[in-house]
Amino acid sequence: MPLTIAKSAEDVDTQTWEKVQEAFAEALGLDEDEVEFHSVIIDELGAESLDFLDIAFRLERAFDIKIPRGGIEMAARDDVGDPSEYEVDGVLTQKALDALAEAMPEIPRAEFKPGLKSNQVAELFRVGTFYNLVVFLVNQKEAA
Amino acid sequence: MTRRRPRPGAPGFAFLVHPLSPFHRRVVGVRFFDPAMALGRSDGAGMGDVGPIARVGLPGVAMGQVVGIGLDPAQMLADQELALVRMRRAAALAVAGGAQAIGLGSLCAVVAGRGEALQAHVPVPVTTGAAATAWAMLENARTVIARVGGPVAIVGSAGPVGRALAVLLSAEGVDVRVDHKRGGRQLAVTVCDGPAAAVAGCPVVIGAGPTGGVLDPVALAPGAVLIDVALPGTLTGPPPRGVVVLAGEAVVCPPAWRRRFWGRLYQVFAGYGPRQVFACLIEPLVLVASGRTRPFALGRRLDPDDVAVFGAVATELGFRPRLARGWFGFDVADLPGAPRR
Repeated sequence: MPLTIAKSAEDVDTQTWEKVQEAFAEALGLDEDEVEFHSVIIDELGAESLDFLDIAFRLERAFDIKIPRGGIEMAARDDVGDPSEYEVDGVLTQKALDALAEAMPEIPRAEFKPGLKSNQVAELFRVGTFYNLVVFLVNQKEAA
Repeated sequence: MTRRRPRPGAPGFAFLVHPLSPFHRRVVGVRFFDPAMALGRSDGAGMGDVGPIARVGLPGVAMGQVVGIGLDPAQMLADQELALVRMRRAAALAVAGGAQAIGLGSLCAVVAGRGEALQAHVPVPVTTGAAATAWAMLENARTVIARVGGPVAIVGSAGPVGRALAVLLSAEGVDVRVDHKRGGRQLAVTVCDGPAAAVAGCPVVIGAGPTGGVLDPVALAPGAVLIDVALPGTLTGPPPRGVVVLAGEAVVCPPAWRRRFWGRLYQVFAGYGPRQVFACLIEPLVLVASGRTRPFALGRRLDPDDVAVFGAVATELGFRPRLARGWFGFDVADLPGAPRR
């Protein structure tokens, strides 16, 4: 049975969540109980850009998946369709904001506000964003 | 890479590197005597695309082999497992050649769990270079602070190098501001809400983060000195007029430093310049020269005490951090506010 995308900690599959939590704790040098579904990865957990590589590596190993770089953004761009309608001078269009909000239901919709730049999207990522990415890729792998 | 028997005498070490661009890989192909790689017909991802770049070190103390894998940054980031496999091969060949410690350069120190996954397969200590980097940054920061004064802001304080610098500088009584609460845990420092808040009004800023693009240059105080470890730099754009940006981990080697032809070429192509290296290169040398059997730094682990231990041995061996801009040294007399000669 496929795993389901989670909007909150109450929706997670425990076994999957514990592996995600462990990967974050190890990559960031945190105690597991410091890693919560809604933790903002950069602002609250103190992750730096290269930490995302470590997190991805540990998740790939834990779930035997391949996390494409920029995968979430690529999916949102695909949803928008026309590349020129995704961003203008680095600022995301309303279509792009809607697509990203749709792709990342764990992030409060209000945070996808006009004026958001494409290079600021990672600042919104929650641990739950990666949980959901893992769920999507695991389901995709099992369906193949 | 040709297998070499371990040489008697000075202990051996290895330093794993990768080409920084597809062009750089072609140069590596020349060094490997690999026509396909040299002519750009190979992507460097093959099992055989691993080999020696240069032999460097201090005769009688420790000699090492710089060993290259053929993957460029984009390939390493796209497939960390592939990078790990190539690094394992490079490390195995180095160990067979007598290396008693493995150092990691550039992205080799970042991918695959910051060296942890490689260490699981290698019988000698694997060390990321973070202790050496922190030592060079610390010494350079002390030099700047002595001239310019404080307070000092640390950007990237939640990372291993930033945290170690916060510990060591605050222990010296320096007025330290950090950009994240994790960098300031249990320390007598000021915790600020992000990089811009941390650097506001600070004459000295340390960029200790792993990659660039985290700090808006307009947040810097006029005339501030940024000591930056990151490549690409910490700033999101060109520095404002009057702001001085210096390389944080440049180290001058002692006169006995040996590098020969390929070593000289390597120093130039790696971006060090002809007369200096980046500190991470000497971490495995210092490790084997001191008889130590465990890494100075691995994964996120970097004990501030080990920075001091590393620095003591490196200094004794004649290595000296220096302020630098690109390939060249920077005279402290040229710092903002410093007395002119």
